[in-house]
Amino acid sequence: MTVRLSDGVIILEGACLLDDATILLDLMLAHPAATIDLDKCTRLHMAVAQVLLAAQRPVLRPPDDAFLRERLAVLLPTVAN
Amino acid sequence: MDEMLAQFLIEGRELVAQAEDDLNALIASPNDRARLDSAFRTIHTLKGSVALFDMAPAGRLLHVAEDLLDTARGDATPLDPATLAALIAAIDQTARWIDSIEANGGIGGDAGSIADTLIARLRADEGNDQSAPSSWLSPLLERHADAADAAEAELIAFRYRPDPECFFRGDDPLAVIAGVPDLVALDILPLAPWPALPDFEPYHCSVMFEGLSMAGDAELRTAFRFVADEVDILPVPARQAETAAETVPGALQTLRVDVARIDALANGVGELIVAGNALSHVAAKVDRIDPRIGATIRAAQTDLDRAVGAMRRAVMAVRSVSLGPNLRRLPRMVRELAASLGKTVTFEMTGDSTEVDKGIADAIFEPLLHLVRNAIDHGIESEDGRRAAGKAATGLIRLEVKPDGDHVMIALSDDGAGIDPARIREIAVAKGLIEREAADALEDAQALRLIFAPGFSTAAAITNVSGRGVGMDAVRVAVEQLSGRIEIGSVVGQGTAIRLRLPLNAIMTRLLIVRVGADRYGVPLDRIAETVSIRASSIMAVGAGRACVLRDRTLPVLSLAAMLGGADIATPTAKLLVTEAGGEPVGVVVDGFGERIDGLVRPRAGILAGVPGIAGTTMLGDGGVLIVLDLAELVA
Repeated sequence: MTVRLSDGVIILEGACLLDDATILLDLMLAHPAATIDLDKCTRLHMAVAQVLLAAQRPVLRPPDDAFLRERLAVLLPTVAN
Repeated sequence: MDEMLAQFLIEGRELVAQAEDDLNALIASPNDRARLDSAFRTIHTLKGSVALFDMAPAGRLLHVAEDLLDTARGDATPLDPATLAALIAAIDQTARWIDSIEANGGIGGDAGSIADTLIARLRADEGNDQSAPSSWLSPLLERHADAADAAEAELIAFRYRPDPECFFRGDDPLAVIAGVPDLVALDILPLAPWPALPDFEPYHCSVMFEGLSMAGDAELRTAFRFVADEVDILPVPARQAETAAETVPGALQTLRVDVARIDALANGVGELIVAGNALSHVAAKVDRIDPRIGATIRAAQTDLDRAVGAMRRAVMAVRSVSLGPNLRRLPRMVRELAASLGKTVTFEMTGDSTEVDKGIADAIFEPLLHLVRNAIDHGIESEDGRRAAGKAATGLIRLEVKPDGDHVMIALSDDGAGIDPARIREIAVAKGLIEREAADALEDAQALRLIFAPGFSTAAAITNVSGRGVGMDAVRVAVEQLSGRIEIGSVVGQGTAIRLRLPLNAIMTRLLIVRVGADRYGVPLDRIAETVSIRASSIMAVGAGRACVLRDRTLPVLSLAAMLGGADIATPTAKLLVTEAGGEPVGVVVDGFGERIDGLVRPRAGILAGVPGIAGTTMLGDGGVLIVLDLAELVA
């Protein structure tokens, strides 16, 4: 599963494609306080990325992938430590 | 109202005001680069905002205005006065369309032809240079001046606007962007403000991209080859990169924050002050057991008070906004109203940059507009009338704003016909607002205040401009709701002046605690003229009521206990709280005065909402709830 909820955290893993956008959106709506883990995310479809941009949920762990980290994750809030 | 629209109405008007400000400044100093840049940016943003609503003609018009300004930024030649006038006309029209969107939900069927006319006017003044650089390039370079500066090679700018339906064709714009070589800067820009999540349409591409790359033109075009029709690619001119870098250090760092968040902060500070007040109760209790610990607690409380006080000032400063943006619509409305009545009026406004609490800035526009309407409609005479009276044909209306301690004074004066107190008395009597004898007994200054009485309207015939059922009493109520006062003065034949006195901030209210029987109530200090103790025997029955003489003036006396539905307690001395009703002092008998406190007055809600005479409630240091009285409403 590329998008799933675990312990109040929405985890995005591997290549998240177009259809993952609705899964992510539904999870966010059902769990308004859930944070985001992008650590193992290798690719984000624009549809998924724009859900993240619109929701501005705090990111627990940024993605390893340099492009996603430097160009997308920087536009999202991070979980304050 | 739709949240996005509400936001647009605020932001759109701010942008209109900013653009008019810049353009007017350019008329005075045509070589002002900063103003030119600001006008360009503002109109660019405004164009983006109007694009979200059903106002395409406004978008077209602003697009031409924006291009014109962008060309001027590239040229060394300043804009000529005719072009600037055409630009101001375009912005004025946009303001009218914004008003129309608010009032009617649309901009009217004639908008297209109006836009065409104004565009023709803009183009008539346009120079020969038709090769206007693209409007998005400069803002992009300004946003990324650092990156552009640091770039080792020549930069190429790109703008990629994916078709909103592109996901269905299998496009992934982010993958396209990930393939752009030597990316130096990237902006992912939402096409519209992000909607709330439940309204989000995940299968519509809602973003566009702008960015800078160090790759060559050919490489960039290769990266975008499958979406070439959705991409603009432009080389970055070296000069542009320089000017962009220059403008950035001076740019003001600002943050647009939802007012609700600031209010939450202000409420928090208010609660903190109340919680801090509780410490003095604790200290008093501890004193009885161990005075040393009591003193320690008091010292801690002093530190806390100081810190909370500083925080309160900081929050108030955040909530403080210039009155300007709220008032800048007035000059145009004066022009329009005067024209519709066939009068010519000069409108002068000073001190509009005075900062007040946002709540006050927002609430003051409507009452002021009403006063301005009255001044134009009833105050300023027709041109012929003015000439006959030996005055200049053009009327003068002046709005002066100036801070006065922790208050702001707003004075609106006109050089019109003035108000005849005799006529005011006649109307008030005819409308049954006051008895004939009482009206005749009033001094002229008091008679003038009758126009603030509910049900009073001086318009013999309801005109289009004023007299829409919101009389001067509505203005008075609005001002009093802001804890303000309104005064009027007028000289027949010379004009009328109306002065508003409003608090600069509205977070905490100074309250005097008064006792009635076993109960305690809060009274806002700004409603109290003075407190006095007099012999109870000096209060005499006068007609149906009671009165006393205070410093050679007869003062009507009311009983707070009676007004609150209780009974008076007879005491040898009576404690009087002197307040004002209809411009006249009134004494209110209470059983005792308590301490003065700062309270966060919450508006009346729940079962209290329907009770007249109650302004709201506040929490006391000991956790009790104090009812705060609205004296004006009680004695009215």
